[in-house]
Amino acid sequence: MKNIYLITKREFLTQVKKKSFIILTILAPLLMVGFGVLIGFMFKANEAEYHFDVVDKSGLFAGQLKSTKEITYTFVPENTENALVKNLKDLNGTDGLLIIPELKDTNFDALESGTKLLTNKKIGMDTKSLVSADLSNILKKEKIKQLGIKEDRIVNLDKNFKLISQNVTESDKPESDLAFGIKTALSMGLMYVVFMFIIIYGVRVMRSVLEEKNNRVVEIIISSVKPFELMMGKILGVTLVALTQFIVWIAMTVTAAIFLNTGFSAMQKNIPAGEEGVLKNLDIQQIATEVSHILLDMNYVGIIGVFVFFFLFGYIFYSSMYAAIGSAVDNETETQQFTLFAVVPLMLGLYGSFTIMNNPDGPMAFWLSIIPFTSPVAMIARIPFGVPLWQILLSIFLLIASTLLMVFIASKIYRVGILMYGNKATLKEIWKWVRS
Amino acid sequence: MLKAENIKKTYNAGKKIALQDFSIDVPTASIYGLLGPNGAGKTSFIRIINQITQADEGKVWIDGQELNPEHIRNIGYMPEERGLYKNMTVGDQLLYFGELKGMSRAEALSQAKFWFEQLNIDQWWKKKLSELSKGMAQKIQFVVTVLHRPKLLILDEPFSGFDPVNANLIKDQIIRLKNEGTTIILSTHRMESVEEMCDFVALINNSKKVLDGKVFDVREQFKQNVFSVVLADTNAESLEELTRKYQIENMTTNNGLFHFELKNSENQNILLQDLVKTGTIRTFNEKIPSMNEVFINAVQS
Repeated sequence: MKNIYLITKREFLTQVKKKSFIILTILAPLLMVGFGVLIGFMFKANEAEYHFDVVDKSGLFAGQLKSTKEITYTFVPENTENALVKNLKDLNGTDGLLIIPELKDTNFDALESGTKLLTNKKIGMDTKSLVSADLSNILKKEKIKQLGIKEDRIVNLDKNFKLISQNVTESDKPESDLAFGIKTALSMGLMYVVFMFIIIYGVRVMRSVLEEKNNRVVEIIISSVKPFELMMGKILGVTLVALTQFIVWIAMTVTAAIFLNTGFSAMQKNIPAGEEGVLKNLDIQQIATEVSHILLDMNYVGIIGVFVFFFLFGYIFYSSMYAAIGSAVDNETETQQFTLFAVVPLMLGLYGSFTIMNNPDGPMAFWLSIIPFTSPVAMIARIPFGVPLWQILLSIFLLIASTLLMVFIASKIYRVGILMYGNKATLKEIWKWVRS
Repeated sequence: MLKAENIKKTYNAGKKIALQDFSIDVPTASIYGLLGPNGAGKTSFIRIINQITQADEGKVWIDGQELNPEHIRNIGYMPEERGLYKNMTVGDQLLYFGELKGMSRAEALSQAKFWFEQLNIDQWWKKKLSELSKGMAQKIQFVVTVLHRPKLLILDEPFSGFDPVNANLIKDQIIRLKNEGTTIILSTHRMESVEEMCDFVALINNSKKVLDGKVFDVREQFKQNVFSVVLADTNAESLEELTRKYQIENMTTNNGLFHFELKNSENQNILLQDLVKTGTIRTFNEKIPSMNEVFINAVQS
């Protein structure tokens, strides 16, 4: 036992002392946020403002075509059309000329095909679609008016049906759309994180095994400790590294959430009753605050607990597989034929979990979160939506049992593999090792 | 100190035989050489002693006790394929391996310092292994092997990778350890080191033991009673008489000196008298076979 502790300690300290670890753990979230902000800024900075002159021979658009932040429409008299077309190339204050022909005999199609937008610079797809949408909306109103319906009635036609849903078995208040969106985002995010971590850290265990095999350190260590102790020490060491990274990130997130949440509740007190709906339309900071409020509202302790458990055991399950693979071959290229065994079930879990978003209580969701190969990923994807306790317990039990089995099989492969060099291990060969 | 009886080891479900009916007896505080060509079975035997693998048949005893996990902390092993962690510092590695062998951190530290003084490598404590040359890394390897003061040392090709000066340094350390009571098993191809250092030797070939015993006895066993003689102040006729009595070979003449070899299984004193009659004796040597010759002879027969 003491040996496992020593080996774990060494693996942990070696990895944690590396500069790459510190940078990744502390800087990565900051980098992600910074990156997101940068992207947002880039989008905003690239927003262009266009100034179009409009020659409206139909008379339908004057007064209807409203300027926006992106596009300024200036209506000009018809007789300036020819001069403008000639001089458009050199005009500075005008980016384009929108020419709309006369409407003849309510032939709207002819109007549409006769409309032209002449520009003296390149305009993007979305600007074009904005103009097109603006024009189309106005035409639509006009067509409806032609049918004899009043304008204020038209407004009512297009309203979104806002459906309030409430699961009576779960909570006693209706669930907001935002909350559901958050749950989905959380589910996808956590699931993806688990998937990436298992693969990244599993491969690290495999590489560590290969390193020890290649620099022959393994012979000296094996003369001091049992192969099983070496394998477990290595797996636990890397597990602790991953866990440390997670805890730092979770702590950072929760702190940020609490910090923003206190801001939210302070805000709530100051808004007069009846105007909470206004909050939904406010800008990013308030949305972030509301998100954190919803996050903290969920059973986040339970979620974190389930997450940590399934991540831990899923990780041990897969990294013992990776350790066995590393011990059976001599270099990294040879591992590729075997790593499929690890990657395929994980991917099944990942992609299968996307169906969980659509049907959190369906049969696919159930089976994926129970079967030990996919359950680490799938159960974590399910948990933000709430899972019955008996299912959680069943899955936990199965995962523990299969992890123990996997560790047992892997250690048999490991014990033979690490001292074998130059053998091209095939599956048949490896099976013999297990049975010995 | 170590006794092995009828060890059998096979691989591949019996298809490959590594050791058969192998028995040796290693006395305490001796240097015991394990000789043999590659693939003979030396490494398999060493792995069995280190409990890295298990014998199919046969038993091993250390100091009267059957081999068990408790013995691990009393054995030091330096494998032929040297290996240490490249990115760990020397100090960290020594402490790590020492602790794995059951030492406390303080013990490991003090022993490490002791060996650093012995081998003159004080300034390497904080260096990473990748920063050291091969010879330096070998020294560290040696220290890792002996750090926990094992009663039994198993060294597989300990001198490979050392220049003559450092090889000598290690040799002196090994002899010093032996004088302090450590039992040392040396596995090597280098026959000169066997002659210089080993008290006992065992020869393995093709998974079987070919011979064993005190180095002195083994060499005596293989001697062919050949003598190397250099005579001065003699002439062809006197030598003629000598050739009639003894079998003489490889005769050469050089600056008035006659060099030759002769075989004599009879009393050496009579030979000496005959030689004195023939000329002035400059050199009279019995050719004791080197371990190299013993080895070749034994393996070929």
